[in-house]
Amino acid sequence: MVNPVLLIVTPLGLAFIIPLLASVWTRSAKYIPVVGMLFNLIVSLLLLRHALDKPVVVTIGGFPPPFCINLVAGPLGLMLSLLIALVGFAVSIYALGYIRKGATARYHALYLLLLAGATGAVLTGDLFNLFVFYEILCISSYALVAYLGDRDGIEAAVKYLIQGSVGSGLVLIGIAILYGLFGTLNMADIAQHISSVEPLHLFVPLVFLITGFGVEAAVFPLNAWLPDAHASAPSSISAILSGIAIKVGVYAVARVVFTLFDASGLFLFLVLLGLLTLLVAEMSAFSQSNIKRMLAYSSIGQIGLIVFAFGLASPSGISGGLFQLTSHALAKALLFLAAGYMIYRAGSMEISALEGMGKKMPITCFAFTIGVFSLVGMPPFIGFPSKLLIIKAALAQQSVWFTVLIALALAGTVIETVYFFRVVQALYFKEPTVNGQTQQPTGSVHEAPFSAMAPIYGLLILILLLGIYPNLLTGALDSAATELLERAAYITGVLG
Amino acid sequence: MSALYENSYYIASVGLIAVGLYVMVVKKNLIKVLIGLSLFETGINLLFIAVGYLAGGTAPIFSTHSLLPGRMVDPVPQAVVLTAIVIGVAVLALALSLTIRLYEHYGTLNLRKVRDLKW
Amino acid sequence: MRAVIAICLLAVIVPVLAISLAEIPFGAQGAATPEKPWIHYISQGAEETGAANIVTSVVVTYRGFDTLGEVTVLFIAAIGLGAVLFSRQQRKGEKLEGASLILQTGCRFLFPLILLFGAYVFIHGHLTPGGGFQGGVIVASGFLLAYLGCADINARKRWLNATESLAGAAFVIAGLIGLALGGDFLMNFLPKGTFNRLFSAGLIPLVYAAIGFKVGAELAGIVANLLEKPE
Repeated sequence: MVNPVLLIVTPLGLAFIIPLLASVWTRSAKYIPVVGMLFNLIVSLLLLRHALDKPVVVTIGGFPPPFCINLVAGPLGLMLSLLIALVGFAVSIYALGYIRKGATARYHALYLLLLAGATGAVLTGDLFNLFVFYEILCISSYALVAYLGDRDGIEAAVKYLIQGSVGSGLVLIGIAILYGLFGTLNMADIAQHISSVEPLHLFVPLVFLITGFGVEAAVFPLNAWLPDAHASAPSSISAILSGIAIKVGVYAVARVVFTLFDASGLFLFLVLLGLLTLLVAEMSAFSQSNIKRMLAYSSIGQIGLIVFAFGLASPSGISGGLFQLTSHALAKALLFLAAGYMIYRAGSMEISALEGMGKKMPITCFAFTIGVFSLVGMPPFIGFPSKLLIIKAALAQQSVWFTVLIALALAGTVIETVYFFRVVQALYFKEPTVNGQTQQPTGSVHEAPFSAMAPIYGLLILILLLGIYPNLLTGALDSAATELLERAAYITGVLG
Repeated sequence: MSALYENSYYIASVGLIAVGLYVMVVKKNLIKVLIGLSLFETGINLLFIAVGYLAGGTAPIFSTHSLLPGRMVDPVPQAVVLTAIVIGVAVLALALSLTIRLYEHYGTLNLRKVRDLKW
Repeated sequence: MRAVIAICLLAVIVPVLAISLAEIPFGAQGAATPEKPWIHYISQGAEETGAANIVTSVVVTYRGFDTLGEVTVLFIAAIGLGAVLFSRQQRKGEKLEGASLILQTGCRFLFPLILLFGAYVFIHGHLTPGGGFQGGVIVASGFLLAYLGCADINARKRWLNATESLAGAAFVIAGLIGLALGGDFLMNFLPKGTFNRLFSAGLIPLVYAAIGFKVGAELAGIVANLLEKPE
């Protein structure tokens, strides 16, 4: 059985040697993330089969927990690590052809480190280690948002950096208070002793941790950085940020609320917060004319839905939230990848500039449309079973209150459908206009290069396959939900 | 009054955090905001170390064999803050490089004027 | 207006912090039971790791994964800085004044001494206060002095990048060797030697030396990137 630490250490080691290899053979740098993520993909799949019975717990340094850092590769961690590896693999192939300008070797090193940080954050069982890997993720993303070096990118990166650093500082304050109260940094150890301190005194570190991680998870009102950052980054990075980075933030919040604190009083708050995020984001997305900003606001909305599902705190609710997390990661990655080349062809990010693109890049626009359908929740794509699971979980609460809330969430979905269909209409049913006069469709059918189409096809196939056979995922999702909800099993799994 | 003196480290660290946050919210110049960020992080590090203090304790280093382990302060916050300081430095370095490029593009470091990205 | 928002924010955060800190009395550490990690580190750390500096044994052995993450963060900062400053525009009409003779001579004299001191700090990390990061920063400050004062002594960027990458890879490989031999990543597989001597504490001096080189090369590279004329 493979040691899960390799999932983190291999990308790290590969990223360390990228500058060395790039100085010897310049073109090698872009293939290394592909290799690294392929390795992670295979190892995650191998470990997932073991972890479904019992989480794989390994220690770093050879001492028993809680005297050392340990990794908990349970179904939740491995599922997320699998998702990270999958999306990372797809986007790294896309980046083979997409990233041409600037310090490309550095881009690929930063990209691989971002994914290593994300994988480390979801696998670790130690609170401060979570902070360190979370910081690796955040700092790589600050640098990557600014990668293009243009006005928008630098401004977005500066704002993202300042807000993200404040968030990280708040997390550290929370960790400091927790350490002062418990004397240990191991998550299972803290969870075991959580009842020895009055709940009132636990409230402060909980709030600091949730607010700090919530900045990266982009819950309302901490998401001011997201539209700028996701819109101004290169499209491959937008895909990773929307698909992975914010999910790691949500995972951190969930881990803190469920496993660490068992904060059942907070569940209603999470439900309302998720709903508020969803509605505000969808309404903001409605008035956008820049396609990447629109996709960014839609990401915020989907995070709201995921947080809503987690707040339901039932096994089906959390399964639904995790399913929605997966389906959004795949669909949003597909949308950003397709949009990347559409924008490149059109020369602008405005939706009006993309009119008529359906004729010039038919397959890419078709992929974009499929992504839209999946995101909105139409069968037979993966978005449908995930949204259905959340609705069923909300209705299973058997209360009028929750029925009202889920109706509001569905209203958000309707708004999403409207603005996305506007884009699809522009792609296929409008002719490009110049100065108000309809132009004859010019330009030959010129698709994106193969390095971009391959991951797009891959994501399309996955979205279709998992939509038709959601049972491929539900077993793993249910185990992951159980892991999150059953603290006692987690504690005994680590501490014995 | 003695309570103030006893908790002087806590007061100082919370004070630094407060000053850092105030500077970050109020000031317009990006360099000043970054200095505020640095103060904020310093306050947090000081808070973490202060949490680990043991009254009458000394540094956890066995410089001579005869040092009793019972009188040492907590080594874990020191290790943690070491990491946190390095992370703070890394963020600051990246922020300063972004400041240089921002100045090139906009010609000013006034954050109220750097507003190209609208709602 | 902003000042009002800031004051409101602080009026919430400061009392909240004060209340929760009241629960953690300064100078007392609650019930010091043996299950608490830090009691274990202080009482058993010297035997288990062989290092006299318990903070070092915590940083490198018990929480070595955090140190790997920290080293990675610094690496990201150096690479990110290089990527962001890659296509800097030429600053028009800026001329740096050259250093005076006294400054140049002084810098040339001090530079190797500072490097020596930095090396001492990171080599003796397991015996005296200090360690890889502290020593690495001192080394980098020597390079900063050299860049500012006597610009003819400076390391080639290529060497700095190569040192950085190799030292980082060495750290990872040291951990992987532990994995291959004993079964846990970053396990100490070298003999612990005599306590309080230079060649003791197993893997710790080697790891810290690698970190010292890496941090020194990284920060020197950052300084070089910030100071050099853009291409």
